[in-house]
Amino acid sequence: DIHVQYERVGADVTMKCGSMDWDAAVTWTANGTDIDESHLNGSYLILKNVDLSQSGQYSCYEGSSWHLKYQTYLRVGIPPKEPVLMCRSNNYPKGFYCSWHLPTPTYIPNSFNISVIHGTKDMVCEKDAVPKNRCHIRYLQLFSTVKYKVTLTVTNALGKNFTTLIFDEFAIVKPDPPESVVAKPVPNNPRRLEVSWQNPSSWPDPETFPLKFFLRYRPLILDQWQHVELSDGTSHTITDAYAGKEYIIQVAAKDNDIGTWSDWSVAVHATPWTEEPKHLTTEAQITETTSASTSSFMAPPTTKICDKGAMVGSGAMAVCWTAGLVVAAYSVFFI
Amino acid sequence: GDSWGIFTFLCAALCNLPALPALNCSEELGAGQSIQQTYDLTRYLEHQLRTLAGTYLNYLGPPFNEPDFNPPRLARAERVPSATVDLDLWRGLTDNARLAANYRAYSRLLCYLRVLDGQVGTAELRHRLAHFCASLQGLVLSIGGVMSSLGYPLPTGPAGPPAPPGAPTAPNDFLKKMDDFWLLKELQTWLWRSAKDFNRLKKKVPPAVVTLRLEARGF
Repeated sequence: DIHVQYERVGADVTMKCGSMDWDAAVTWTANGTDIDESHLNGSYLILKNVDLSQSGQYSCYEGSSWHLKYQTYLRVGIPPKEPVLMCRSNNYPKGFYCSWHLPTPTYIPNSFNISVIHGTKDMVCEKDAVPKNRCHIRYLQLFSTVKYKVTLTVTNALGKNFTTLIFDEFAIVKPDPPESVVAKPVPNNPRRLEVSWQNPSSWPDPETFPLKFFLRYRPLILDQWQHVELSDGTSHTITDAYAGKEYIIQVAAKDNDIGTWSDWSVAVHATPWTEEPKHLTTEAQITETTSASTSSFMAPPTTKICDKGAMVGSGAMAVCWTAGLVVAAYSVFFI
Repeated sequence: GDSWGIFTFLCAALCNLPALPALNCSEELGAGQSIQQTYDLTRYLEHQLRTLAGTYLNYLGPPFNEPDFNPPRLARAERVPSATVDLDLWRGLTDNARLAANYRAYSRLLCYLRVLDGQVGTAELRHRLAHFCASLQGLVLSIGGVMSSLGYPLPTGPAGPPAPPGAPTAPNDFLKKMDDFWLLKELQTWLWRSAKDFNRLKKKVPPAVVTLRLEARGF
């Protein structure tokens, strides 16, 4: 016979050893470890001011025979705080979904119950398998003047709590972000970037319920975004990009007339087209021809003239000196 | 009065379209452009209504001006035409039915609003209501114009607010205020719906050049 016992953090817990008398001799264990007698009041186990670490399996054995007389699982937890509820229509006009979670854990199992009231009518919110804590509703009527009232109740063994949302059909419309955002440079245009994207796949009828878009972009090196709002079309060409700088680009979507903007799409990076740098070999050739032409104007190096033959005496000196003059004259000419 | 102002505004806007040079607005206008203009007018009215409704609900006082106020619909409020419609039915409406529903709704709402206009206390409210009624009249005219250009007959019906035999006006002050609350709510919802209605019409009626005759409707 499996027992489970739920107790609040900080509570005092008294466990009885099944049908045993108060004065019977018993031994208690917690997860297999013997519990000291100081915690016993007769055959009752007293746990004061329990905390989460005291959760576990508690067993009671008869003193001499070591027969298992009672066993229970103690689960220490807290009653639920007010849950967080959110409802949104990302597939207008099909319907909407609500999702919820607890702001802090309770450490014990919780069950959720959601009710949707539209005017006098009770509607059924069908629970999704994945993700958990989510349900969806199909609209039966469009353009309703009556608000929807959604109440989420969370219950566990230690208590319950609830929260309510009241909203108009139009107020909760928020599409998913645009998909497949692509940004490409434009050949021969150093200040342009071509951006294109697609309607979110969850939006069922973009023909009748068109979306408008908001594009934001900035070079990675700056913090300030530039914005463009586009009332139709799923592409746009940026024409004022800084040349050669890498850009980060995002797009958001909104129903043309109602609701709020989607979250920003996944960011894409792109750099505008830049001209190819000059080829290295061409440069070298230009330098060689220049040096060849200049050297033809220059006198042959002085050493050659002076080295020729072993000219001894002033004659040789005179030739060297003359050569030096000629070189000097030419150098002056070129300065 | 102000109705001519709206009419002139429409004409001026249409005549400035770059795609149609040297256009005299008393002659040829595309049905497509008329639908666009009607759509734009519903957005303008929706914007105007936000201010008007805020002021009016404050005038009515609590609980009418509380954001979460969500009263049950009483049977008597059904006199005001409702924009609420079954999804598949709405999708399947013919262009004629779609336009006629809008035409009828705004004609009736206009009548109710005019009655309201005669009753409100403050000068500011009277001024706002008068301005709004004029714009709303422009919308009715615009829808009528679209219907005529597409060859549809204008819906006939009672011109004034229908008074069911034996049904009195609201028996007490609170119920009267409830009527006003629902009137504004229905108006708001109709303007949201019309944006979607005219979007659908825009896609189905290409901007063909059709002769448009805008006749004075005795206002």
